[in-house]
Amino acid sequence: MFKSGTIYSNFTPLVKAPVIGYRISGEDVLNILKKITKKNFSRYHSLIRIVKLYQKDNSILDECSVVFFKSPKSFTGEDLCEIFLHGSPLIASQFEQLLKDLKIPGLRLAKNGEFSYRSVLNSKNSLKQAKAINEIISNESFSELEYNKKLLFEGDIVSGLIPLREEIINLFSEITASIDFVDDEDFNFKKMMKKTRKFFTNCNNLLHKNRTNIEQKNICKIMLIGQVNVGKSTLFNKIIDKDRAIVTNIKGTTRDILSNEFFFNSNQFEIYDTAGQRSKQGKIEKYGYKKAQKISNKIDHFFVLIDKNTKKSDISALLRDFTIHKNFSLIETKSDIYKYKTGNIKINHSLERDKIYKKLKLSSIHSKYVKNKHKKTNFNLEEMDFLRRILDYEHDIVNEKDILIIAQLMRNILDDFSFEFGYINNEDVYDRVFSKFCIGK
Amino acid sequence: MEHYDVVVIGAGHAGIEAANISDKYGLKTALITKNYSDLGKLSCNPSIGGVGKTHIASEVDILGGVICKIGDKSAIHYRVLNLSKGPAVWGVRAQIDRDLYSQNMKKFIKSSKIELIEDEVINILEKNNKIIGVELSNTGKIKSKAVILTTGTFLNGKIYFGNESQEAGRIGNSSSKVLAKFINKNFKTMRLKTGTPPRIYAKSINYDVLEPQISENNDIFLSYFTKQNTNKKINCFITKTNNKTHKIIRDNLNKSAMYSGIIKSQGVRYCPSIEDKITKFGDRNGHNIFLEPEGLNSDVVYPNGISNSLDKKTQLKFLRSIKGLEKCEVDQFGYAVEYDSVDPRELKNNFETKKIENFFLAGQINGTTGYEEAAGQGIYAAIHAAIKIKKIKFSTKVFERDNSYIGVLVDDLTKLGVTEPYRMFTSRAENRLKLRTDNSYERFSTIINPKFLNKIEYSLISKNIINEEKILDQLKKLKYSPNDLMKKNIKVKKDGKVRNGFEVLKFLDPSKDKFEKFFNLSITQKLLTKIYFDSKYDVFYEREKKSYDQLNKNKNMNLTNIDFNKIPSLSKEILEKLNKYKPENLHDASKISGITPSALFQIVKHKKARGAKVA
Ligand SMILES: Cc1cc2nc3c(=O)[nH]c(=O)nc-3n(C[C@H](O)[C@H](O)[C@H](O)COP(=O)(O)OP(=O)(O)OC[C@H]3O[C@@H](n4cnc5c(N)ncnc54)[C@H](O)[C@@H]3O)c2cc1C
Ligand SMILES: Nc1nc2c(ncn2[C@@H]2O[C@H](COP(=O)(O)OP(=O)(O)OP(=O)(O)O)[C@@H](O)[C@H]2O)c(=O)[nH]1
Ligand SMILES: [Mg+2]
Repeated sequence: MFKSGTIYSNFTPLVKAPVIGYRISGEDVLNILKKITKKNFSRYHSLIRIVKLYQKDNSILDECSVVFFKSPKSFTGEDLCEIFLHGSPLIASQFEQLLKDLKIPGLRLAKNGEFSYRSVLNSKNSLKQAKAINEIISNESFSELEYNKKLLFEGDIVSGLIPLREEIINLFSEITASIDFVDDEDFNFKKMMKKTRKFFTNCNNLLHKNRTNIEQKNICKIMLIGQVNVGKSTLFNKIIDKDRAIVTNIKGTTRDILSNEFFFNSNQFEIYDTAGQRSKQGKIEKYGYKKAQKISNKIDHFFVLIDKNTKKSDISALLRDFTIHKNFSLIETKSDIYKYKTGNIKINHSLERDKIYKKLKLSSIHSKYVKNKHKKTNFNLEEMDFLRRILDYEHDIVNEKDILIIAQLMRNILDDFSFEFGYINNEDVYDRVFSKFCIGK
Repeated sequence: MEHYDVVVIGAGHAGIEAANISDKYGLKTALITKNYSDLGKLSCNPSIGGVGKTHIASEVDILGGVICKIGDKSAIHYRVLNLSKGPAVWGVRAQIDRDLYSQNMKKFIKSSKIELIEDEVINILEKNNKIIGVELSNTGKIKSKAVILTTGTFLNGKIYFGNESQEAGRIGNSSSKVLAKFINKNFKTMRLKTGTPPRIYAKSINYDVLEPQISENNDIFLSYFTKQNTNKKINCFITKTNNKTHKIIRDNLNKSAMYSGIIKSQGVRYCPSIEDKITKFGDRNGHNIFLEPEGLNSDVVYPNGISNSLDKKTQLKFLRSIKGLEKCEVDQFGYAVEYDSVDPRELKNNFETKKIENFFLAGQINGTTGYEEAAGQGIYAAIHAAIKIKKIKFSTKVFERDNSYIGVLVDDLTKLGVTEPYRMFTSRAENRLKLRTDNSYERFSTIINPKFLNKIEYSLISKNIINEEKILDQLKKLKYSPNDLMKKNIKVKKDGKVRNGFEVLKFLDPSKDKFEKFFNLSITQKLLTKIYFDSKYDVFYEREKKSYDQLNKNKNMNLTNIDFNKIPSLSKEILEKLNKYKPENLHDASKISGITPSALFQIVKHKKARGAKVA
């Protein structure tokens, strides 16, 4: 086993939530548990125990559930435990302090990705799988997420590139045979080149097909716009369920653009709060407003917030400023104090978050802008890059007449495949040659 | 008791080259062979060269070897394979008159200072794992500083016709059983197999119905130094097997030594027996057979393409089903031979055994097949023996795999071992574009030494090198802008780059007339062909060199003391492979088929955990 200290880190965000999870991994896990729970976990592999956590002065820090995984049957392959604290950032910080106070040599906060890294080191995951884990965390596309999960759970070689690898070995074998075994079969250069072009066409097709799949992000981007003080920031905070934007009664409170992600019905959104519109904008405010306009072409849908103070001309100015055509909803705010007689969506700050989601019709907005979200793909971005690299050879190979140069370039492609999918050596090529062609006298 | 510097055992293609080079280094050399009459015998087909094989042979030639020169002296039919492709893969193939070859070889050995001893070696003498000499059946013991063993297929050799078998290294030669004991006791050996076709009387063949293959004279010879070949040329003929032939063979497969299960060892996939061809590739349109006369005065023909281990009756029957052979008579039936060969990973990089100092192995005993492969090893082993015992200066860099086919062969054998008899293919060389027969003198220029070659040969090489330098100088002085080239009808990118004559050369074609008109310089066709392809492949040389250097960086991570079984994370298949190939370093490990980057990563990690410094 690879020993390099015990590491810990939270694996849920440190925000107010039902629980905050911590993971500890390394050779000192049992020792730590013993010290903070006064219980021995060594026989409790993979069982949930509800225990009390004690601070230095023996006072109780929290009552929480703890799961212990014994090496090597854990994610990292080392001893590992997961602790579910009550979801208060304050408790979390006390917990971290508690760990620090133990003064165990080598116990430290994990670096980014270190758990995955250890899982590779201890062979719980291949490098490729570890990369997949990281990508899952940062995935924006569902099809890619599905693929990375497959890679993670089914092992290394489900890549959609495997058929191409086969194709190139076969092609290279044929070219090899036509050079080294001229006497034995009739090799036709034109036919080989036709197959070669086909190979590149296949690469191209695969790339294009999957590019549209992968680059099709599954995030729906929404921007809140409207006059100053209409209640944009209030809605923004409500939707993301955090106190991120400052809300005041002063007009022009929001100056810079803010954004945040959130999920609703497992649909992913990104929402932008913007500086409000008014005739006399301050310098910074103006700048922020312009900035919002600039990125408006990336926005799928706009919520145009209005209230009793908003004039028709203000609305058309907004629609003009942000070049909006049909992708917007008009939302009347502060319905608790204003009475509206229109058919527009009406909201106010006392409504439940879920109710607001519903009123805003988030689900149907998402499905309107994000299509193809469940198309299967056998690719991730890394593999797309790989394909692009392979396609770099296309021009030189297809236009070359010297078969030796073609073979040399193809060998480079083979080497690229070797690196990603395991070494292809001469013997592998000869295996194909001798099984496909009747070689030798 | 006689004292030698070098004793070479076996006077086949490996042995002769070894003795020759050792003699040229001024070492007192003995060449021991069982039968004087077998000196330089071509055990199988009467031809030298071909794609890949010529490449090794030409390196032997430049190093002062004899196979090409004597081959040219005895050649009675030439062809150049792959002529439509670049010269990097041209393969001269010469049909050889067996008797002439043997006579010429004997003459040559007699003219040298090599002491030829006709006797059987029955033991290798060593003390504290260091060679002291050999023991002969009749002559007794002789002393030697180094011993080079080149006994080919003779160790426990056994030949098979159907289920008939006899102990022999090849037909007519008894196998070496006593010596085999010593080898098997001291080294890891394996059993390999090869085969040979029947020989047919020329007079019994009906040539009238067959298509002839005429000798082509392209002024391309085996040896760089051969100017002409005045031997009479003969024709070869082509015929084919047919469905009737296939049926006969299929019906009698149970009588084939290979298919009945008598022979279990691994044969050569690229020299398949006719049984193999029919089982694996079915009827096709019939399989080609090349009828190659064994000599100008020989009445025997070698039918290339139908080696087999069937019983004699079936052999005759299937032969007579073939067009032109309906009435053929057989001089010698085909057979398969099984023999012991040493796992070449028992050898150090210089072909000295790891266990016994100054004991070198070369030729088919190392798991190879072919005359040229044997010759290359013979010369390689002898050069290293000379380095070892005479402390001569020699830059062994020329034998790296990016510089020579001999280097590729040595690297492949000692690193990866063999699973079937090893034959050279040009595709084994990553640096194929550079490893050409027309530039071997250049690749070996750092070590070419007047001792290896005679005066005429040496001055020929020097003259050619000077001529080439001169013309390259002149070419490089000529400058062309894209505009100049456009005017001359040459399409290049309008990149504003001024190119010199050498860089422009690749846009022309290698025709002497065009060259002379374009550059206003005179040149021989041979030299033009060479520099034309140098110009064309220049970028690839650079690229290959870079990646070779890159790979070499990793070489330092030593894996010899590592127990792969202790790395729990390696899959079973990968463990098997690592244990089988025992890579010495990371670079070698990465070259084993199926080893994945993550497996390499596991190894690095394992080393790291043990405190190794990793880049
Ligand atoms: C039946 C047969 C079929 C083959 N078919 C092919 C083919 O199709 N294609 C191909 O490329 N190659 C073929 N070969 C291989 C080719 O002939 C050999 O690879 C090549 O000749 C090997 O050269 P060598 O110098 O290693 O050994 P050899 O040429 O075999 O020479 C061995 C020498 O060692 C001597 N010797 C052996 N034991 C002793 C001893 N104890 N004491 C003293 N002297 C001893 C022998 O007398 C002989 O002179 C075939 C070989 C055989 C036998
Ligand atoms: N009564 C009532 N007041 C609201 C409601 N929503 C927002 N407000 C108040 O309106 C004021 C402005 O709200 P903000 O959310 O800051 O408005 P804004 O659109 O972000 O304003 P700028 O950033 O200045 O453009 C604050 O005092 C809020 O408390 C609502 O639904 N009902
Ligand atoms: Mg605001």
